[in-house]
Amino acid sequence: MTALLTHADRLLRPTTRLTLSGRTLVAMVVLFGAFYGALMGLYFDPGESPRWLQSVYSATKVPMLLLVTFALALPSFYVLNTLLGLAGDFREVLRALVATQAGLTVVLASLAPFTMLFYASTTDYNSAILFNALMFATASLAGQQLLKRFYAPLIARDARHRKMVRVWIVVYAFVGIQMGWVLRPFIGDPAKPTAYFREGAWGNAYIEVWDKVLTTTGLGTPRR
Amino acid sequence: MIRGIKALDRVLRGEATRLPSLKSGDLDIPAGSLCVVLVILGMVTGACTGVFAVITRYHDDPGQAIMGWEQLLASTLKVPMLFCFTLAVTFPSLYVFNALVGSRLNVRAMFRLVIAALCVMMAVLASLGPIIAFFAASTTSYPFMKLLNVVAYAIGGSLGLSFLLQTLHRLSAAQFEEELAASRAAETPPPPPDVSQQYPEGPPPYPAAQPGPLQRHKAPHFDPRVKVIFRIWVIVFGLVGAQMSWVLRPFIGDPHKPFTFLRDRESHFFEAVLDAVKRLF
Repeated sequence: MTALLTHADRLLRPTTRLTLSGRTLVAMVVLFGAFYGALMGLYFDPGESPRWLQSVYSATKVPMLLLVTFALALPSFYVLNTLLGLAGDFREVLRALVATQAGLTVVLASLAPFTMLFYASTTDYNSAILFNALMFATASLAGQQLLKRFYAPLIARDARHRKMVRVWIVVYAFVGIQMGWVLRPFIGDPAKPTAYFREGAWGNAYIEVWDKVLTTTGLGTPRR
Repeated sequence: MIRGIKALDRVLRGEATRLPSLKSGDLDIPAGSLCVVLVILGMVTGACTGVFAVITRYHDDPGQAIMGWEQLLASTLKVPMLFCFTLAVTFPSLYVFNALVGSRLNVRAMFRLVIAALCVMMAVLASLGPIIAFFAASTTSYPFMKLLNVVAYAIGGSLGLSFLLQTLHRLSAAQFEEELAASRAAETPPPPPDVSQQYPEGPPPYPAAQPGPLQRHKAPHFDPRVKVIFRIWVIVFGLVGAQMSWVLRPFIGDPHKPFTFLRDRESHFFEAVLDAVKRLF
């Protein structure tokens, strides 16, 4: 436990070089992600009993969200790096990317108390979702800063890495948003029973958002 | 097979297209083994594209699920076909026009060059396959999948074709340098390179950055006519490829239509893309 926190501390400090092994970094993603997920899933309506099972489900789903998105985005990123002539640096690139994920979960875990306070003070399911979205957004912003820092030595060596880091952020976000949608629910909907995956259509996050935009602005009606 | 994968790796890393290895005016790659790898990469891409049909058929009516698998199999076969046919349609005119403008590339060199470019294209596409398959598995919107595939193929296509143009630049630059060196060697032997001057404070901590295969190489002595021919060819290849994909459709499989290997002749690619955009928004 102490070792884990020491690792987290070493990861976040800007001065020290990235010394953690890949296995430690992945373990950090799993543990810190599970921590936030477990707390995230604790939301329940005043009228019902606590959703412990949802908490366990969400604890597995947050690390899954990050790691599966990572695995899906990696092959094309490797090919693009190779095409730009950066294959020699890929081992370091990989470490920088995994370290970013680990850092992101550490930040996320540190935000968990806010989520708990928010859960303790709201009875509205939608605002609970929105608050979590805000926490994830905050953690991703911090993650981007970390990514820039871990990439700095690579960029200093070869300016082409700057381009690649942008590509990574775009691809990762594109896949990650949909992954978050597919892995729903992270927070138990009071109107529905606890479930690992939501019943029925998986749907597409981008189309759902577009339909919401259409209906709320009154510019049109969804086509389907 | 192993040989083909190794060659693919060399092409992607740009090792096959570095200046010293292009001096003979040809690419040193095994075209035959690369073709095998090309077909396999195409099949992977096709299978990823076909995942959508399997998922939607199960989702809509499990009794029809066999049609989804048929579509998956058909897409797996059709993506390599798409690339072979597009190449077959566009390669002869490329060769003829190149010969007409007096390019120094012979037919074998040109074929290898095009195969290498296709390899880049297919490697990018196959590596995007997991993302396509993931969206296919989680999305029920047919227009969204169509556009996602168009975007993926456009990314693969533009990277492959820019590889082609850059390699062409290098080929002619390498040949020019070779000729220059030959004419110089006739006069005086070149002095040995002074290593100490290159790195005054010792050798660099890392190997010097190697140019990627997409890196622009300045070639002032490039025959502008050959360049124009290849530029035109790149555009033609894109258009023919797009239309060929339309002729060979369905790749993704409309969930509301029964499975057929090919559809009837109608419309064209660009109208269909425009239609998909309209349906999505």
